[in-house]
Amino acid sequence: MRAIVRGLRRWLRLVAVVLILAGIVTAIAFPQAAWNAIQLPLFAFFSTTRMVIAYLFALVFAIAYGHTAATNKRASAALLPLLDVLQSIPILGFFPAALIFFVATFHGHPIGIEFAVVFLIFTSMAWNMAFGVYESLTTIPADLEAAAASFGLRGWLRFRYLAFPAAIPKLVYNSILSWTNGWFFLVASEIFSAGGTEFQRPGLGAFIAVAGRNGDVPSIAIGIGVLAAVVLTLDIFVWRPLGAWSERFRMETAPGREIPRVPSPYERFRWLPRLPKVRKRIIARVQPAVERYHRLSMRFERAYSRHPKALREIRRVDLALFAIVFVVVVATGLVGLVQMFLRPLPPNASVLPSAAVLSFSRLLVAYAIALVWTIPVAAMLGESEKAARYLTPALELFASLPATALLPVIVGFALLIAPSVGAAGQLAAILIALFSMQWYLLFNLIAGVRSIPDDLKEAARSFGLRGRAYWKRLLLPAIAPSLLTGSITAWGAGWNALIVSEYIQYAHQFYEVPGLGSLLNHAVYPTPDNEMLLLTILTMIVVVLAMNKLLWRPLFRRASTRFRLEV
Amino acid sequence: MQVKDVAKSFFENGKEFKVLDLVRFDLSERDFVCVVGPSGSGKSTLLRIIVGLEKPTAGEVLFEGEPIRADNPQVAMVFQSFALFPWLSVEQNVELGLEAKGTPLEERRKIARKFIDAVGLTGFEDAFPRELSGGMKQRVGIARALAIEPLLLCMDEPFSSLDPLTAQNLRDEILQLWTNPDLPPKAVLMVTHAIEEAVYMADRVIVLSSRPGRMIAELEIDLPRPRNRKEPEFYGWVDEIYSLIV
Repeated sequence: MRAIVRGLRRWLRLVAVVLILAGIVTAIAFPQAAWNAIQLPLFAFFSTTRMVIAYLFALVFAIAYGHTAATNKRASAALLPLLDVLQSIPILGFFPAALIFFVATFHGHPIGIEFAVVFLIFTSMAWNMAFGVYESLTTIPADLEAAAASFGLRGWLRFRYLAFPAAIPKLVYNSILSWTNGWFFLVASEIFSAGGTEFQRPGLGAFIAVAGRNGDVPSIAIGIGVLAAVVLTLDIFVWRPLGAWSERFRMETAPGREIPRVPSPYERFRWLPRLPKVRKRIIARVQPAVERYHRLSMRFERAYSRHPKALREIRRVDLALFAIVFVVVVATGLVGLVQMFLRPLPPNASVLPSAAVLSFSRLLVAYAIALVWTIPVAAMLGESEKAARYLTPALELFASLPATALLPVIVGFALLIAPSVGAAGQLAAILIALFSMQWYLLFNLIAGVRSIPDDLKEAARSFGLRGRAYWKRLLLPAIAPSLLTGSITAWGAGWNALIVSEYIQYAHQFYEVPGLGSLLNHAVYPTPDNEMLLLTILTMIVVVLAMNKLLWRPLFRRASTRFRLEV
Repeated sequence: MQVKDVAKSFFENGKEFKVLDLVRFDLSERDFVCVVGPSGSGKSTLLRIIVGLEKPTAGEVLFEGEPIRADNPQVAMVFQSFALFPWLSVEQNVELGLEAKGTPLEERRKIARKFIDAVGLTGFEDAFPRELSGGMKQRVGIARALAIEPLLLCMDEPFSSLDPLTAQNLRDEILQLWTNPDLPPKAVLMVTHAIEEAVYMADRVIVLSSRPGRMIAELEIDLPRPRNRKEPEFYGWVDEIYSLIV
């Protein structure tokens, strides 16, 4: 083993030398590329930093929100529906408003744009994570809850030993989803036009977008390559280990399901210098403080629980304050809406319904294409170990690229094969929607196929179910729940993609197709029209919520009762 | 410890379902009491009320003259499903109650080791629950309960998710721990649906009827220890309880 590693190292050294030499030669030959090479790592660093900051905010938010919703019954009556709405609306539509707000707050200082970008990424990450925390906290086994109570775990101790560990598996799983989501929004938001101006911050997303506008193909390729490298590196060195580690915190379900003993992040970085003396000194310094804090908080808790009445009073005041703020916010929103509708609608408002239909049908086409290829591929990958081993890495590489970054490539491709400029615009819009939707379907379906118990598959085989009968009786019913989950997420992503896909600038030319997305773009740039902006967003929200309530929710309920695989 | 006329009802769609009715008994030092009853007699509910995890609809539970509270460190609980924290090692699980009590780290470790030894799990301190067999898991559960040195140990069907052989071994071990006067607890209250198990282990058996759970009888089992399941007296007791329930 060690010999192989040593051999590999020698190879790596050789490869590094070759790469450096090649780099120097290209730098002399193509100075522009060399400039990119210096710039790009910095851009990658800026972009990643934005992601990390937004993620940390989202993490804190998710834990606080999920914990409150799970432990405070009355607060959850308001918190859950709110989260539900926030999760299903296309956030990208709100970005212009947020951008203008933040830029105005900081008097046009670029830091305002940074805040807006981080805020947008945050909104793309936070909701599903909060739901994950809420779900895990409400599904803690009753006995574990009772054990914690009877052994006196309260407050901080309960959070540390019960609530937080119980939330880890879903939190990590949702973090991975959120992180992918975040890239999509990061790329879309680093360069943005709003309120008649264009805002730009240095980063990979802006680099790719500018390259696309100029039709600079090598820069597009390099930008996407660097982005893919960053995304994959983080995936391999951060998310995958975290995902494996989080298995440790899973509640035991079916016996016999082996959970590998994976090193914790701490163990994984054992090779780092450990500095035992320094560590000991730090621990000696910190430990008494921690213990003191624990004892103090426990004394507080005990003091609290001796006055249940006062506690209830405080809680009531808390709740009343929260209710007042909530009511005021909702009321001002409603008043604003009513005022807007009382005024005569702007003349272009009449195009809204047709725009909605057009956008919807484009998403539908993309969804249909995605279904046609993902179901068979998922069936194949889920059933055959060998196919999965060779194909999954390639698919993951593709999926790691946010559709917003692929935008220039997709438009270039559409221009190549479409007969006319108008057709190219349509094709590009559908392809961008397809690229933002298909991966959610594919990976959910693969998980669905994998989760079919071997017993069932063997039973099907032994009764001679093959071909169409096998699909109809086992495969399709078994993957129905994951198909629905995938569809809901895919459509969510599709609505967001709409906003960037209907109005594209590529190689100094605009490609535009009628729809809600292009209406939105027209309402912010070049002639700002706040009323139209608001109406377009409202239309979109109404369509999305209607679809969720009238289509997905009932379907999901049926699928999860009828097609659930009981363990 | 006194259980005073405890009753419990659940309400569903405005209808009242009585689970427990007028249960009353006392527990004092060196008592080993078993509550038996058919399924649906509210045995587990009774235990949860006694340890303060649930509030009774009527009546009250007094512990040393005061109403019971869930986090009372004088009362410890052993669960049918073990209820071990899957992300904590054996030792951390055992230390749990001590940490909540505010015991300093060094002492915590010492006490935890002592009880891990007592239940025969030496060498498994750093193992995680999922790496243990069912019997070993329940041993951890017992060590965790004993570690807070409770006056009263409550056990909710502690052996019913174990295989018969493991269960029998563990029963004998618990009785052995129980006879050691240096070790806590002062009294044991166990809920079970296995009548033989109750006669095998308890000094006193409380028999509940089914739905709602009412006390049918309170029997002193005066068989000498260690008890032999093959003796006719043993079977006499089992048969008597059987006839009370059916």
